[in-house]
Amino acid sequence: MNAMTKTEPLLQIEGLTKHFHVRLGAFGEREAVVHALDDISFDIMPGETLSVVGESGCGKSTAGFTILQLHRPTAGRIRYQGRDLAGLDEKALRPYRRELQIIFQDPYSTLNPRMTIGEAIAEPILFHKLAPKGEVKSRVERLLADVGLPARFAMRYPHELSGGQRQRVAIARALACEPKFIVCDEAISALDVSIQAQIINLLLELQRKYGLTYLFIAHDLAVVRHISTRVAVMYLGRVAELAPRARLFGNPLHPYTKALLSAVPEADPAYERKRQRQILQGDVPSPMAPPAGCRFHTRCPLAIERCRVEAPVWRETSPGHHVACHLAEGGGE
Amino acid sequence: MSDMALKQEDVREEPPANLWRDAWYRLKQNRMALTSLVIILALAFIAVFGPWLTPYDFLSQDLIARNQPPAWAHPFGTDELGRDVLSRVIYGTRTAFIVAISVTAVATLIGIVLGAFAGYFGGLLDRFVMWFTDMTMSVPQLLLVVVINASLKPPLARWMEAQYLETLNPIYRNSIIIDFVLVFGSMALITWPPYARLVRAQVLSVRNRPYVTAARALGLSTPVIIARYIVPNALGPLIVAVSAGLGTAMVLESAFSFLGIGVNPPMPSWGNMIADGLRVWRNYPHLLLAPAMMLAVATVAFSFLGDGLNDALNPRGQK
Repeated sequence: MNAMTKTEPLLQIEGLTKHFHVRLGAFGEREAVVHALDDISFDIMPGETLSVVGESGCGKSTAGFTILQLHRPTAGRIRYQGRDLAGLDEKALRPYRRELQIIFQDPYSTLNPRMTIGEAIAEPILFHKLAPKGEVKSRVERLLADVGLPARFAMRYPHELSGGQRQRVAIARALACEPKFIVCDEAISALDVSIQAQIINLLLELQRKYGLTYLFIAHDLAVVRHISTRVAVMYLGRVAELAPRARLFGNPLHPYTKALLSAVPEADPAYERKRQRQILQGDVPSPMAPPAGCRFHTRCPLAIERCRVEAPVWRETSPGHHVACHLAEGGGE
Repeated sequence: MSDMALKQEDVREEPPANLWRDAWYRLKQNRMALTSLVIILALAFIAVFGPWLTPYDFLSQDLIARNQPPAWAHPFGTDELGRDVLSRVIYGTRTAFIVAISVTAVATLIGIVLGAFAGYFGGLLDRFVMWFTDMTMSVPQLLLVVVINASLKPPLARWMEAQYLETLNPIYRNSIIIDFVLVFGSMALITWPPYARLVRAQVLSVRNRPYVTAARALGLSTPVIIARYIVPNALGPLIVAVSAGLGTAMVLESAFSFLGIGVNPPMPSWGNMIADGLRVWRNYPHLLLAPAMMLAVATVAFSFLGDGLNDALNPRGQK
């Protein structure tokens, strides 16, 4: 690859691991470790939308929270423009927190009920001194306009707004920080389908306008297919496969990705009847006792003896296409 | 894009609803709470403007007109020294309010600081603070107040005397100050634990709300998050507790004064007036009734106001 055209990644995630310690039993006498995130590594390029998909509990939200240091990682590095965020204390993190924003799943509970919309959006502007005091009001109005809300909403309280409107406010508040990178943590999952489309289009529009980079955490594959540059598939705290969108949807290598894609319903009933669906057996194992070897071997239709004992390495089978599977084409070692 | 957003919006242009204003609106619907509020405001007015309202000096004795039943000249009668009971009750209201407000303010402040820190930071600090709170609650209130009064009063009196001799400032001659300081101090020291526990519980529940995580993600500092996101949302139950606590503090002050360890004569307090009246209630019931009625009315009013505030601030039926 040509060194001149190759851009530096915005974020480099190396070996990121997050374990939660929980106490079990009536008196908390047993301690267990939840392997929410185990040794994940990938880069996030400026201007792209990297989607993270996977079933509930696979660690995709934990990944977003840990990248933003809302959870402190157990191990691993998060380099943002070359600087490792993992070891920084709250105070040193503050300027980075501003540049790395998040939009949460539930817009009902992420806005302070005692603050008006205007106050909520003005808060980061004032705190990070992003505008002189006199200009804050007009800045708030511009941000509201950016997310398609009229300026008079600044006087409203969150409980007076609909879900879609609140999510627009949450987006405006994140934008107020003038971020470079936004984690969209299931940002549309709690909304009605008709509103989902509006919010997705809004996010895309803002990405173009402000040159934003998204980490888009979702479980809706149709949406992911629509907006992503690249897609990462997670299973039980590990990344199973990471590839450019067209490659992942067109030529999935990991058996879990294949199963996931075949679970997406087709709109055409004739095609839907004809096609072969691959249905996974069993349940996701507990992240408190993840299986040895490949984490997916308990449910994998192709599993061989080697999968039970040896964890597959994270390798690049073709440029930009990473997979963690012993059997993926491109062969063993 | 903006058309789409506007379509879903209900077009109404009334002033923005504020949660506090909504609470006030709900409180106004509650007749008991509203009546209680009016009574409390009236009592507060009496307490503040007492010196201009009393028909007589609360200390001046009229030994010819002792133990008079209520009459036009003395609406609540006179006591065994011929002092006007109405004037004394008014001054007792003053005492009750000064004590209740100061004690509750100090106790709430201690409670907010300890509870907020314990709840927010958790861990060892939390355990230590809660251990201290439990320990304080386990000490019998009366005993602690008696001990504080007995052990601190003489040295404080000596110090005041020394200050007076040094500065000749008459304020140091005023023994009532010692009473008040000791009563406030010891009562605040025994009444703060419930506030600390309440604030801690509130902070614990609010601390993990998504909007606090969202505030952290915005890069706001911890003091800003505590002051703007946690405290305002944790305040509702505290307001209710303070309202009820004011009534409790009044009862407590009266109880201590009744027992002679609170506000001492000749300074009137409902408590010491009740104590005086109790000895002669068969012959002169008005001496007991006047202060007892005041205490009862004030306590019930605070209690109902607390209930009303509770309903107004935690509307369960609200969407």
